[in-house]
Amino acid sequence: MNWFINGVKNRIKTQGLEDYTVEQPSFLQGTSNYECPTNALENGRWIMNKCIFCRECDLTATGKQNTFTVNSEIQDMFKKSLYLYPIDSGTCGACNVEFTTLFSPQYDTNRFKIFMSNTPRHADALVVMGVYTRGMEKILKEAYEAMPAPKVVIGIGACALSGGIIGTSAMEKYDIEVAGCPPTPASIIKAIIKARGVK
Amino acid sequence: MQYYNFGERSGRYIGRSQKYDIYASSITKITEIPDEFEIKNSGEIYFNYGPSAGGLRESVNFKLLTPGESIRDVVINPEYKQRDIKILGDDVARALLKVERINGFHGASNSIAYILAVEDALNIENSELNKMRIVELELERIRSNIDVIKGLCESAGFAVPEKQLLYLREEVARIISRAFSHRYYFSANGIGSIRGDFSTIKLNGIEKKFRDIYDGLLSSKIFLDRIQENGIVKNEQSTGPAARAAGFKFDARKDSKSLDYGHFIPITETGGDSFSRFVVRAEEIFASISIIDSYNIKNAETGKKKDASGSGEGTARIESPAGDIFYYVNIENGKLMDIQTVSPTYLNLRLFRQALKNNNIFTDFFFVWESFGIWISELEVNFI
Ligand code: SF4
Ligand code: SF4
Repeated sequence: MNWFINGVKNRIKTQGLEDYTVEQPSFLQGTSNYECPTNALENGRWIMNKCIFCRECDLTATGKQNTFTVNSEIQDMFKKSLYLYPIDSGTCGACNVEFTTLFSPQYDTNRFKIFMSNTPRHADALVVMGVYTRGMEKILKEAYEAMPAPKVVIGIGACALSGGIIGTSAMEKYDIEVAGCPPTPASIIKAIIKARGVK
Repeated sequence: MQYYNFGERSGRYIGRSQKYDIYASSITKITEIPDEFEIKNSGEIYFNYGPSAGGLRESVNFKLLTPGESIRDVVINPEYKQRDIKILGDDVARALLKVERINGFHGASNSIAYILAVEDALNIENSELNKMRIVELELERIRSNIDVIKGLCESAGFAVPEKQLLYLREEVARIISRAFSHRYYFSANGIGSIRGDFSTIKLNGIEKKFRDIYDGLLSSKIFLDRIQENGIVKNEQSTGPAARAAGFKFDARKDSKSLDYGHFIPITETGGDSFSRFVVRAEEIFASISIIDSYNIKNAETGKKKDASGSGEGTARIESPAGDIFYYVNIENGKLMDIQTVSPTYLNLRLFRQALKNNNIFTDFFFVWESFGIWISELEVNFI
């Protein structure tokens, strides 16, 4: 088998970010008085970062993959390339899999000049997933400190942002927050693109 | 509790829960057998890898004992990401939201095992739903096995099949999402109910594409050279594809009564190496597709959530993609008073260590690791 020729013959078309959308998780609208298991409904209003998209309340899914918040814009120097280092603080595994899906042929995140780094020393952004755990507290801090400045911190998933249904959040502050349990690959990419201000 | 009792060992060893040792049909007190590690000789070092490093999807630490090239032993510490999950005293239906997040990638396996244990405890009739649950589990197995084979290709630096498999894994995620409105089955399963549209599950395209990649890998001498006769382990205390790759016909689809698969024949190989584990995983993809096709379920939105306010003890054991998953629950007036889980990771981590010690060198590490399809998340949970 010549894999190179096989690869050329079986070409896969990378998709646009709007080509595939899902209802769960997506931006929810409306109000609800349901007794939310994660307290994501305060006086009937939705708090995105706490939501695990359990589908039990009266909020309706819009299908829009924009469940993210940009708290600080990314520095100009990262507009041409951004290297991500993922760290698992205490996940169920689904956030990890969605993160690796960024590099699947469907999403091919490299086309947006977003790459993976194998070490925090070469990374521009730390991607934090999962709840706070005693065992990973020091490791998370060390990874952050090992990164060269300026650095960006991205939290993905309800666990990292608020503790979700499992525990407490992994870090106090993030530059970019992507809600979802787990967030979709499209919403993670869109969040980074928005924070960079360029494609 | 229909299928289990507390007492002496009976049947094969399934693994260890938070408080007990579990066998094929009994729950026993833990028998501690201390791990024996190789003594470090002069000139040898412990090479530290993890808990967070490129190439590791989850947080786990390895200390590899080596004189230079070969690996003589490995000390594994999976506890870094141990999660305390506050679940005791929860309403049994709400607890499900936490259970499905014990291992999100195997969300169907965990939620269905838990639900079957609850239904056993509360004597809830479930036969009309069980075929649909089997379809969910087999679909999850297809995705999981694709992921394991993708990991092997990645370790071998075979970027083309790796990306093709990543593409297929995502296609299966989309099939799951279309049918169950969630890519990991979260909130799809309830006690006495399933939210899903089975008519949307079509796997012909997946089967054909996977067949092409599998045939390509089987005819690729370089790929086979990397995985044949590496990471050999044959041990009666094993589970899932790792057991079947070593010739043991261990499969909860055959020897557990929690879900009735009818006449089921496990797929086995004899080598016990990474290659045999690869073949078992690949062949099981085709077997899972034929199970799903043969059931030909067309339902949408099935069953109504059942009242779960009773009391009782229940168990369930099913075959997750990596091996036996066991759940025990003790319910009092609809509240979860105790929960015990055995994940296949418990035995698979021990097997991985034995496999790695067996004449392997550093470059074999990733092949052996990926060939087990281990998930730390489901082992490192502390229920409080
Ligand atoms: S969908 Fe979100 S807001 Fe609604 S009940 Fe579930 S977790 Fe709460
Ligand atoms: S946010 Fe949801 S999917 Fe992500 S690790 Fe937590 S429980 Fe799992």
